[in-house]
Amino acid sequence: MLSMSICSQVLSRALARGGTFAEIFYEDNRNFSMSMRSRKIEHAALSRPRGAGIRVYDNLRSIYVYTSDVTLEGLLHAADQAAAAVSETKGSGRDVVLQSRQTANIHPILEPVLGVPAKERAELLRAADSAARAVSPSISQVSAGFLSREQHVIIANSEGLYTGDTRVYTRLLCSAIASDGAENQTGSENPGAMMGFELFRERVDPAEVGRKAAKSAATMLTAPYCSAGEMPVVIAGGFGGVIFHEACGHSLEATSVAPGMSEFCGKLGQQIAAPCVTAVDDGTMPNEWGSENIDDEGTPTTRLTLIENGILKNYMVDRLNGLKMGMAPTGSGRRESYAYAPTSRMRNTFIAPGQDDEEEMLRTMGDGLYAAKMGGGSVSPATGEFNFAVSEGYLVRDGKIVSPVRGASLIGRGSEILMRIDRVGREMTMGQGMCGSLSGSVPTNVGQPTIRVSKLTVGGK
Amino acid sequence: MEMNAFISRLFDAAKAAGIAPAEASYTGKESFSVRVREGKIEDYQVSSRTALTLRGVFGGRIGTASTQALDEESVELLIRGVAESAELIEDDDQDEILPPDDHYDTVCNYSAALSAVTAEEKIALAMEIDRLMHASGDERLKPDDSLVATSKETMGIRNTLGLDLAHTSNMIYAYASALGREGEHTATGYKLLWGHDLSDVAAKAIAEGCEQDVLSKLNAGRMKSGEVTVVIKNSAMADLLTTFSGVFSADNAQKGLSLLAGREGETIASPCVTLTDDPLLAWGLGSTPFDCEGAATRKKNIIEKGTLKTLLHNRSTAKKAGVETTGNSRGSGRVAPTNLFLVPGSLTCEEMLSNMGDGLYLTEVSGLHAGANPISGDFSLLSRGFEVKDGKIVRAVEQFTVAGNFYKLLGDIVSVGSDLTFEGSPVGCPSVRVKSLNVAGE
Repeated sequence: MLSMSICSQVLSRALARGGTFAEIFYEDNRNFSMSMRSRKIEHAALSRPRGAGIRVYDNLRSIYVYTSDVTLEGLLHAADQAAAAVSETKGSGRDVVLQSRQTANIHPILEPVLGVPAKERAELLRAADSAARAVSPSISQVSAGFLSREQHVIIANSEGLYTGDTRVYTRLLCSAIASDGAENQTGSENPGAMMGFELFRERVDPAEVGRKAAKSAATMLTAPYCSAGEMPVVIAGGFGGVIFHEACGHSLEATSVAPGMSEFCGKLGQQIAAPCVTAVDDGTMPNEWGSENIDDEGTPTTRLTLIENGILKNYMVDRLNGLKMGMAPTGSGRRESYAYAPTSRMRNTFIAPGQDDEEEMLRTMGDGLYAAKMGGGSVSPATGEFNFAVSEGYLVRDGKIVSPVRGASLIGRGSEILMRIDRVGREMTMGQGMCGSLSGSVPTNVGQPTIRVSKLTVGGK
Repeated sequence: MEMNAFISRLFDAAKAAGIAPAEASYTGKESFSVRVREGKIEDYQVSSRTALTLRGVFGGRIGTASTQALDEESVELLIRGVAESAELIEDDDQDEILPPDDHYDTVCNYSAALSAVTAEEKIALAMEIDRLMHASGDERLKPDDSLVATSKETMGIRNTLGLDLAHTSNMIYAYASALGREGEHTATGYKLLWGHDLSDVAAKAIAEGCEQDVLSKLNAGRMKSGEVTVVIKNSAMADLLTTFSGVFSADNAQKGLSLLAGREGETIASPCVTLTDDPLLAWGLGSTPFDCEGAATRKKNIIEKGTLKTLLHNRSTAKKAGVETTGNSRGSGRVAPTNLFLVPGSLTCEEMLSNMGDGLYLTEVSGLHAGANPISGDFSLLSRGFEVKDGKIVRAVEQFTVAGNFYKLLGDIVSVGSDLTFEGSPVGCPSVRVKSLNVAGE
């Protein structure tokens, strides 16, 4: 690991020509991934990504240099490259003195993955694969994958911080394809957590993962295409939370708010959602996929209320955007790896449980769509336009589910959909995803209870 | 440790552990980018990164492990990782480790002059783009950021059977993005240019292109739902082709993930469609004389006048299919195109719009990772474009989805334009006119 003395030398060097702040982020990982297709394990590899990123603030401008050469010479060279780009030479030549800070680990790991025999890891894929294939003769292919990451980080900055953390992630992925010879449909389940191998003893049954993926694919294969139009939509919990993540969450990140590119700029304290909507971004949930002890800038993680009864309460703020906005960082500075400067990102983001009855939502919706499972999506933060796929949808006629439909997508604008939520169910569940943005792809949980949107544009055929 | 010394050390350790033959493939990447907003540098990034993957035969199977750290600890980790991986893998389709091919073509996509361009020159260019964006004087335009970036990449591969290859490429790209506002209506737009020389990324062309892109999208209306004839703009068509390029992989086909399995020789597209993969394209972003398993690369038509001629192969998929590798190994048993493009026809985009009469000029598709299913070929994508009446653009349209199926789309192409472009990507397309797609709007 990177010693306090090396960090202090590198930070001092980075500020040699001036600059208001310097930071070093070092990581050394032990990753293992494995995948199975056509009932055979076709990939299994240990990998060791390692490197460091050095950031200097030149007033409000960020200079970032990263390298996989973490020898003292390599790091000093990177620090020199950063220093060379500094224009504000005031306060140059400081010696950075560091002090070690420990953060309590709220996400204990019981069973490190690399300590589990390789053959036992392989059994997970076999269990998911066989269960998926047993669901229906239409299942023509199953892909299963296993990912684990053990990330050791050291973060030090010119304010004197020297801290470290270990993050452990484990995930099982399964996609099943149902085919009738002419057409294919897919279904997938990808549960994960900030846990070691105990994930599979406590939370996740690999066979159940395979079954769920296959059922969804088989159901969609025989489904007619969804017809397009505007209609009420009921969105189930779990990964359904992607609607909030995409349509609103990204627009509440300081990355969008600080440069004035978000539709929610300047709206703190204002009503931006229906009164039944309370939304939270929480890094403190024990062992959840999007949780942390500290963020990638060394700030301890928090539980942050974004929207309370429809009123906008907080943005998700990283250090640099916090300076621009005059706001304190919220523990939201995250990055995929040392190859990215951190920026404000979501953690476990969800619509909080409400008061409504799920059966009543469907019964009183008239004609519309029930989105049982959402796919991924994307959004333009500036305009709030979003688009996401419904991977398992059902047609509702007169308050009753009549048949599965495929090919549906939901489109609209974030600000509109928030105001049009008219029911929020009582039980919140979460789903795991990898969220992509400026600082790369980071693990995030999306979540919500079952909700109803009074009117949405549904794309189909 | 220095790369070559590390590989030699690794090969010694591999031999001692009973891993033979062994192969190390490595990449060295350097990148630079500067982002300017409101006349100030907002973001400045420099990087250098090395990564190495060791593959080797252990107990009759090939195992794999990789690292970014070239030290003794990694030597041990890689040896353990390769042995463990070889024991787990049950698949016989691993890339083989072989001696070099007899001949490798040369292809140039590296400019020494570009590598000599200084950080100051790149900053000056980004500043100039930003200045021009603010000089536009159009009240509706709110410039966002301007960016200039360069990258240089070396890919090398060495094995214990005498293979020792390396190829270096570089590129520069620059773009400007902006937000447009007219009344309550907003739209974002950008312009990106790339190449191998500063003159390929002229500030004026970028600023003007960005302004035009944003302003053209303002006051967009909605499309009426229904089946419409569509001209798909080159860049949007390239986005679609990129998303669905996996259907041309023999690896996917052999694993039931592409509906093109076993259809070589059949008509799968309209007669005006020829799709080429050309790794030897001069100055191409995907150009390389050898692939990830060290096989020599070559130019080939995947679709020729509508007929599927070949899928893309690595050595193992080729062996299974009883053909020669097409030199498209992307490593880890995967297959991928190099420079993939639709061969251009003779009509300009304007002529195709004019021939279409009434319909949609589709200029942007988004949400491809969510709204497009690369296995079924189905897509339903949030889109932007222009409504066309009597062959003329009448207004911008937005907030509608365009739905269809990629396999069907190939057969529905009525004409292929002359405006082939690669927009900072190794996948390029001309604009194409298609019979019809499904629009869901109001």
